Amino acid sequence: MLNVLMLGVGQCGNRILDAINKEAFGGSGASKLAKYYLRPKFPSRVETLAVNTAVNDLKELRFTTAKDRLHVPNLHGVGANRNVGKQAFMDNRDMIMGEIEKRGDFDIAFVITSASGGTGSSFSPLLINELKRQYRDITVITVAVLPFREEGSIYLQNAAFSMRELMEVDAEGIILADNQYMKRFGGDIASAYDKINGMIAQRLLFLIESLDSEMLSVTDLGDFKTVMNGGLRIGTMGFYQADSKNLSIRDAIENSLKPANLLYPANVADDAARAMVIIQGSREHLDMDEITKEVERLSASAGHVFKGIVVKKGRPKVLSVFTVASAPELESIYAQAARGMQDEKEKRTRARKQLNDAFAHIEDLEEIY
Amino acid sequence: MRSKNNMMHRDGVPEMRHLVNRPCLVYLLLSILLIQAAYGEKSNDDDDEVTFKDFTLNIGDRIDLGDYQMELIEIQSVRDGLVVMRISKIGGSLDEQRALLQDSPNNFDGGAENRGVTITVADIFDEQSAKVRIEYQQGLGTARKRASERPAAALDKPELSVQKSFDKNQMSVGDEVKVTITVKNTGTGQALGIIAEDVPPLPEFSYVAGYPPKIKETLDSGQSDSAVYVMNAVKEGSIRVPAIQVSYTDSKKNAKSNSSVPFNILIGPKSKADLAIKLTSKVPIALDGEGMLNISISNLGTAPATRIEANGGVNPPEGLQVSGLEKSFFEILPEAYENYSAMLSGQKPGNYTIRLRVNYDGGDGSVIRESTAKVVVLEREYKYQYLLLIIPIAIVIAWMYRRYREYKY
Ligand SMILES: Nc1nc2c(ncn2[C@@H]2O[C@H](COP(=O)(O)OP(=O)(O)OP(=O)(O)O)[C@@H](O)[C@H]2O)c(=O)[nH]1
Ligand SMILES: [Mg+2]
Repeated sequence: MLNVLMLGVGQCGNRILDAINKEAFGGSGASKLAKYYLRPKFPSRVETLAVNTAVNDLKELRFTTAKDRLHVPNLHGVGANRNVGKQAFMDNRDMIMGEIEKRGDFDIAFVITSASGGTGSSFSPLLINELKRQYRDITVITVAVLPFREEGSIYLQNAAFSMRELMEVDAEGIILADNQYMKRFGGDIASAYDKINGMIAQRLLFLIESLDSEMLSVTDLGDFKTVMNGGLRIGTMGFYQADSKNLSIRDAIENSLKPANLLYPANVADDAARAMVIIQGSREHLDMDEITKEVERLSASAGHVFKGIVVKKGRPKVLSVFTVASAPELESIYAQAARGMQDEKEKRTRARKQLNDAFAHIEDLEEIY
Repeated sequence: MRSKNNMMHRDGVPEMRHLVNRPCLVYLLLSILLIQAAYGEKSNDDDDEVTFKDFTLNIGDRIDLGDYQMELIEIQSVRDGLVVMRISKIGGSLDEQRALLQDSPNNFDGGAENRGVTITVADIFDEQSAKVRIEYQQGLGTARKRASERPAAALDKPELSVQKSFDKNQMSVGDEVKVTITVKNTGTGQALGIIAEDVPPLPEFSYVAGYPPKIKETLDSGQSDSAVYVMNAVKEGSIRVPAIQVSYTDSKKNAKSNSSVPFNILIGPKSKADLAIKLTSKVPIALDGEGMLNISISNLGTAPATRIEANGGVNPPEGLQVSGLEKSFFEILPEAYENYSAMLSGQKPGNYTIRLRVNYDGGDGSVIRESTAKVVVLEREYKYQYLLLIIPIAIVIAWMYRRYREYKY
């Protein structure tokens, strides 16, 4: 049995964590009152902890127990300022780590955060370092959410800097989710968030369940680490559940890798470095030949492909996790961030200069009363 | 002296025979003088024509005529036609009280022919009044009546009231009834020779004792007497009880009578005892639990029930134990009742019928009455069943509250 730690940091991380807890109550089908009569059902031993400097963000949560919400006191929040955030983390490091240690030993930790906010993006790299120091053999996977591009230059800048930091820390890899990419699910922002969070939650739990299962064809935590270590150590996840009209396992695998079913825009054929395909379903749907053929076809373009098969009653479900060797989308973010920062800098100097020119008028003058 | 004269006159001649001395001479002399005076007057008076006038007098009434005063003192006997009058003359030359016999003229001072007066009782109406004729010479003046100022003297006038009463006006065949006859003298004089006459026994009754009722023969004013006799009602129906009559006389032998007011009574059919049995048992009995059966025997009839014996049983005979159902009583009076209770103990669940049989003498032979009661012995002890509902709800609420607290941040 895997010991899993799920940390949701910052508002975005908190909400995704809440979605994970909700998923444990039965996912999108879970009633708002489910927590009153059900126990969350995780495939492994899962501990969840929501960390935030904003009490209100913590209060907003619905499916996370009170003891799993950790408020890090910081007088005025961090206001998207990563430096303030880092300071706040360092000030409260022992308290935060103490809260995690209370929950025992862990084989794997998921640190879930937005890359662009203040709290989550600044806490997470430091937190990962602490986890790595504290738990010798722990596998740490970062789940980072990229901002909507139109959210502003500070968010972009934060995303750029925090992504660099996250890539530098000693984590096993980063799973990316891109809000911008999933904007297509439409609707208002709140329901888009809910939808995205639900998708992330579902995939993560599916992953955990699969890693902890008696698989027909073995994949385990080691395989997963190997996949995450590939390429840029940045990856994403695709997921597909076959509908009753088409139960073909081959199509399901293919679909799980289609752009529409990914969390981040990547082209498996061109960019993938390593991949892992986890297939679940009733035995009669699991045609081994088909699976093998399809996996081999994938391997041709995506390097090494691990496959895991879990026999479980139901229509075929496929989760694919892969890392990429190149991340054009991320690069464009950096470009955009840099441009934004440059613009900002120029604006600032221009403004400064204008102000200085204005001050020039009163040079050599004294106040007269 | 005067009273003596009065006496002599009233009682008549015999006494005069003994008075042959001076008073007798004086009397004779006086008589002669008076006669002479009358004669003299008569001779020189034109109006010596005799006239008469009738008066109806009540006792105490007086007729004035010249110096004469004539008063009705008493009606001594209506039957015998005797009236007492007092005749006097202003100045005192005449003062005489005489009993006058009806229809016979009485002369005073020589009578109307001799310038005196003649009085005749023409009629006696009653003890209070009489018609009197006065004859006199016109020269004496006009006779006038002076009504009496004093109240009529207390009279000898007995008055009997009589009453007949039953001690109940509703009875049943076989009942005894007490009849009371009460006679009371509400008048002023003694009533004599009282005879109470009650009509012969009615066909609806047979006499038991005390008949005929005996009432005193004499009752003074204000006195009363009563007599009681007892009858037995023998036939049912509505009966008019006839009056009783008393006859009597007053001291003057005037016969009188009075009678009571007749009234109705009802004789109902022969009274019988009628026992009603009521069995009540509260709520079902729990298995292995105890219960109580209350038994009430009340007499709704009109006669006492005697030798009452209650006994009973249970059906089915197994499973419900009843003790204390048997009981006997000497008597239950009409409108009275007896209560007692029997203990029940349930040994087997089911529906039971308890039958109580009461045997008694209702006054007309032996009677049997029966009553039944249903008793349920419950399957189980359901006392804590509601907890089965409340406890889970409480647990659910506690659980949900705990969850709420767990997720409340
Ligand atoms: N997918 C997803 N993105 C979210 C959600 N909430 C916020 N975000 C994104 O997260 C970014 C903002 O970061 P937050 O997590 O809100 O910020 P934070 O870590 O709480 O930091 P501060 O609020 O600045 O202290 C934006 O790009 C949002 O689009 C969410 O529920 N789901
Ligand atoms: Mg926030």
